[in-house]
Amino acid sequence: MTEHLAVPAVKTPTVERRPPTMPELVSSPKPQPARRFDEPRFLRIFTGLVLVYLFLPILVVTWYSFNSKRSLQVFGSFSLSWYGKLFSDDLIKGSLLASVEIALVTMVVATVLGTVLAFGLVRAQSRANRPTDVLMLLNLITPEIVTGIAFLLVFSQLGITLSLGTVIVGHITFSIAYVTIIVRGRLASINREVEEAAMDLGATNVQAVRLVTLPLLWPAIIASGMLVFVMSFDDFVTSFFTTGTGVEPLPLRIYSMIHFGVTPEINAVGTLMMLITITIVLAALAVYSRQQRARLAFLAE
Amino acid sequence: MVGTRRLWSLLLLPGGLWLILLFVAPFGMVIAVSLGTTDILGRPIFGFFPENYQQVFDPIFIPVIVRSLAFAATTTVLCLLIGYPVAYMIARYAGRFKTLLIVLIILPWFADYLVRIYAWIVILGNEGVVNGVLRAFGLSGNPPVIFLNTPFAVVGGLVYDYLPFMILPIYAALERMDPSLIEAGKDLYGTPFQTFRHVTLPATIQGVIAGSVLVGLPAVGDFATALILGGPNTYMIGNLIQDQFTNGGFWPFGAALTIVLMAGLSLLMIFYLRSASRPAEATA
Repeated sequence: MTEHLAVPAVKTPTVERRPPTMPELVSSPKPQPARRFDEPRFLRIFTGLVLVYLFLPILVVTWYSFNSKRSLQVFGSFSLSWYGKLFSDDLIKGSLLASVEIALVTMVVATVLGTVLAFGLVRAQSRANRPTDVLMLLNLITPEIVTGIAFLLVFSQLGITLSLGTVIVGHITFSIAYVTIIVRGRLASINREVEEAAMDLGATNVQAVRLVTLPLLWPAIIASGMLVFVMSFDDFVTSFFTTGTGVEPLPLRIYSMIHFGVTPEINAVGTLMMLITITIVLAALAVYSRQQRARLAFLAE
Repeated sequence: MVGTRRLWSLLLLPGGLWLILLFVAPFGMVIAVSLGTTDILGRPIFGFFPENYQQVFDPIFIPVIVRSLAFAATTTVLCLLIGYPVAYMIARYAGRFKTLLIVLIILPWFADYLVRIYAWIVILGNEGVVNGVLRAFGLSGNPPVIFLNTPFAVVGGLVYDYLPFMILPIYAALERMDPSLIEAGKDLYGTPFQTFRHVTLPATIQGVIAGSVLVGLPAVGDFATALILGGPNTYMIGNLIQDQFTNGGFWPFGAALTIVLMAGLSLLMIFYLRSASRPAEATA
């Protein structure tokens, strides 16, 4: 499909037709390499195969969740029975609700904290910026097992019983930096003069932010909030160390189910989870890129 | 103006304090526990017992540490070998499909982490899809080919987990690079490989390093992949840590392991930050 675009870009240097030069004769015994190292066709096939590799597990799980048989090797007929079984399983329903609850609270709190932090970083440009950056980078790069254990130790030493609340605290902590980075990027690109113009027209500082800057910022805030929802909803490691004995979040429920072997029911839960997360991510991308396009159109005029 | 700036910097407080209290301070607790011991019930008692750290480097645990590093290094190299050509293809030849391809690369990563690992049991298990296909072609009847619980399964799973983190920074570096540099390399009679080695790779080395950090660091500490796809001979440092806390192990030892892991990763991180802080050399 991209052939028309790609071909001229590649063929420009006519390697084959020029006379061989000294350095070439010395360094490469074959004057005409049989297959070009960066040939787009090879690269295209390779990329295709990598995409198959990336999507294969998802497609396999989805496919077998509709299998009427228990087997992973024989496909009986199309059936929704495993989904039916899922919705009559109280443990799974409880876990699903718990996961949604955790993700919603995490989303709201982390988005507010992260956005406020982004405003502070962009607008104050204070000496605290560099340490805050380092803090966020460390937060992003620290393996979850390390932070998970740190939470477990702190909660147990302070005598806080592990519950959905402790899971939420853990999730908020790893989510703030993502929100700040996304919102800060957009905020830095908004011209400060727009706000100043609003203030010249009599708006107060707060009004200028609320009426001018926030509307421009909403797509970034909403997109980062959706991202946080998905990361919280998916999280296994932090939840693993901060969940109490009560209701487990859904990924932990799946983990317990895997212990009893692979069942089509897990395929059905997994498919459902992937459907939820992928839909939200696509929606977030749509929200974020729509404004980008609107801005481009505005600039073009 | 100075006054408003001070007001703005107040906004750093809520998020900053949250991170300090719930991200930085807990490290202090891990350090305190790592130097302590426990009472008869297994509850931590604070004290000064550096032998917890000696235990980390006990000959019994050296293979676990070496294995974790080897798995992470293999994962990083494989991600690089797979990821670089993909990033190169998207950056140079994908034209108007660039965004679509990037979305397709990231999207599977957002499908649930645990489900993605579990999916490999469905595919590679003894009663799984691959063995079903092999049996159908009469290539392997009974017993089935054993894929799971091997280092291959764990490293394969890790590569699958982290591949997008290698592709994205390399793609970004290739996008930043001036493509005429490649043409210049060819005009100077460089073979495609020479051009790649002396022009493209040096110009995108920042992306390669960033990708290696984003893949390698989490891979060292990963425990869910080895927990689900691995067995006793793929036991990683993350599994050792987890067992200290959840399977009736010794908490101070687990805390010491966590601190050693974190210290090792921080060293790598400092190396990365120092190399990232001089990007001018790479583009010059």
